[in-house]
Amino acid sequence: MSDDGFALRLDGVTKRFGKHTAVEDFDFEVPRGVICGLLGPNGSGKTTSIRMIMGILGPDEGTVSLFGENPDVTRRTKVGYLPEERGVYKKMKCLELITFLGEIRGLKRAEARRRGGAWLDRLGLPEWADKKVEDLSKGMQQKIQFIGTVIHEPELLILDEPFSGLDPINQDVLEEIVRDYHAKGTTILFSTHLMDQAERLCERVCLISKAKKVLDGDLREIKAAERRGVVAVEFEGPDTWIRGPEVDHVEEADDGLHLVLRDGQDHQPILHRAVSSGARILRFDLVEPRLHEIFVRHAGDGAVGDAGMPVGTGIGRIAEPGDGAGSGSESVGRGGV
Amino acid sequence: MWHNVWAVIRREYLQRVRSKWFIAATVGGPVVMACLIVVPAWLAIQGNRDEFRLAVVDGTGVLYEELAPRLENGGFEVEEVRWYADVVTELRARANDGELGGFIMVDELTLETGEAIYYSMDVPSALRQVTIQTSVARTALEYQLEQQGVDPDGLLGGGELQVEVISGAGSDVRDPQFGVAYGGAFFLYMVILLYAVAVMRATLEEKTSRIVEVIISSMKPSELMLGKIVGVCAVSLTQMAIWIGAAITLFAVAIPMMIAARPELANLENLREFAPGAGLIALFFGFFLFGFLMYSGLYAAVGAMCNTDEEAQQAQFPMIMLLVVPIVMVTSVIQAPNTPMATGLSLFPLFSPILMWARVSGGGVPPWQVALSFVLMALMVWLIAWVAGRIYKVGILMSGKRPTLPELWRWVREA
Repeated sequence: MSDDGFALRLDGVTKRFGKHTAVEDFDFEVPRGVICGLLGPNGSGKTTSIRMIMGILGPDEGTVSLFGENPDVTRRTKVGYLPEERGVYKKMKCLELITFLGEIRGLKRAEARRRGGAWLDRLGLPEWADKKVEDLSKGMQQKIQFIGTVIHEPELLILDEPFSGLDPINQDVLEEIVRDYHAKGTTILFSTHLMDQAERLCERVCLISKAKKVLDGDLREIKAAERRGVVAVEFEGPDTWIRGPEVDHVEEADDGLHLVLRDGQDHQPILHRAVSSGARILRFDLVEPRLHEIFVRHAGDGAVGDAGMPVGTGIGRIAEPGDGAGSGSESVGRGGV
Repeated sequence: MWHNVWAVIRREYLQRVRSKWFIAATVGGPVVMACLIVVPAWLAIQGNRDEFRLAVVDGTGVLYEELAPRLENGGFEVEEVRWYADVVTELRARANDGELGGFIMVDELTLETGEAIYYSMDVPSALRQVTIQTSVARTALEYQLEQQGVDPDGLLGGGELQVEVISGAGSDVRDPQFGVAYGGAFFLYMVILLYAVAVMRATLEEKTSRIVEVIISSMKPSELMLGKIVGVCAVSLTQMAIWIGAAITLFAVAIPMMIAARPELANLENLREFAPGAGLIALFFGFFLFGFLMYSGLYAAVGAMCNTDEEAQQAQFPMIMLLVVPIVMVTSVIQAPNTPMATGLSLFPLFSPILMWARVSGGGVPPWQVALSFVLMALMVWLIAWVAGRIYKVGILMSGKRPTLPELWRWVREA
């Protein structure tokens, strides 16, 4: 394989655990230099995919390539990996742990140590260098681990649920660092089930559900393509006109109600109905759908919680599941591994 | 690859060597050993030096000449006093004045039965009593033998047995060193188990803490496993080298110094008989090394297939059995080292470290058998590395219930 401009490429990757298929026929590319989100509910196959990219699991079918090369060659020095389940050697001193993690990624010991010290300074932890990891708070341990992930200045950062378990302040710190790396030209792939976060950070997204890819591409293009599907409305008066054959469901958003249309339906009949119902229309706007809405639309039945139609009078309310996706999905676990 | 393995080895080694446990065991071991040997002897001779000033009343006229140097070797200062009527009263008086610690009466009866009377100012220590008693008895015995025209040194020295082996096998029989054979076998059992379990715990810790995922994304499982085993091995060799170094120092330097300072400690010299020679020490390390490599591979696999300490405790049962069986048989093997059963069992690689050691150090074993056992152990190391490596590779990333034997077999086949 030659350099194809992609930091990462999966071709027809499939992984089964016994009878359970964790990832099915997954084609996926991440061009160099972009931030890409791998999105999906818990148990959709995100972590399994990442583990295959990292060589922890071997795919049953298909191939993985990194920077157009055999991943086993490039992975160690060019990729930084933060697994979902964070592990540390609790008895080690912080700087020693960081140094070790740098060493196994190909750095010379002295260099790893120097960089580790610089990172601890940058994150405001210099006095912790000689403290044992077990004496640190969980948030601090995660910082140490993150330093270990980037110590060798990887060209591709793979972060599995990097924001989970962080308090809001540290989430911001991490987001800042991710943006920094992006500005330096590092390719970043991170998985999350938090659509809002992905929407803020990502240039590209890949949605997977139930082991299959649902959609992927440039986030802005996706949104533009999906724009016709959502209408934001504000109004006074009767709301009966909201219901109709064109409307799939309604969501409450910061800027009023979002009417999510069924595929291929036009918004014009709704406007017509609204005016004739006597409602006073303050806003009728074709908006970019939120990632969550796109996901719901594409993942289809049962992949995420079915958002029902609003009921009652006035402003309709939707029973919004906690994190958007996930609650309605079948929880499949990670199989045998 | 070696960069990774080396990083793992160094991490493992430094973490362990710096741990409080390691320092305590490494320094504490020799200190305890030295205390067990030296302190009782030292305590036994503590006390007023006056107690060691003895007068010997020789009623026979023939014993004092030989008895005096013997008692002096035992740390006493002696003077000869001729027997006369009031000698006991006089000597009691001198003892009461502090001139003497006591006195010994030997007479014709002593020559026949070895009996003597010891008048002492204090209650004598057991060591002091034994020293006097054996000195007197031995002197009397030698005198009697000489009277018979017999060489007392030869007979009392325990004689000499010249062994001529008729068939070829075991023709290099040496003086059996039973103590070394027993002690070494138990020590081997202890250290192999101790450090193999250390490998298991380290593996389990990496697995349960999940750091293994980060490591495995940078290196092959086999590299991690190799680094782990070599790292722990280096720790164990360091510790044993320190222990053996301390023992050599104790025998070569400390004991002679103590004997020079307090001649009455001369009995400590006997401990040298238990000290194995350089060849045996080298063999010991050989058996340890191969034993450790075999068992640590098995234990690494156990650590990789389990999820909790409790599970691992249960799963290591077969390995414990493999180590306990030879320990149970070690006595009979030392006593009859060249029976077909002893030979066969000691050639079984997983038993060899303990049983072949017991045979080699305890008696004559043809060198080819020792060589064969090392070849077989090397093959076993290779086999275990292959099987355990595969189990390790799958198990280390696996969570969920412990695999059954058929599942294990599938891991080995498919890994």
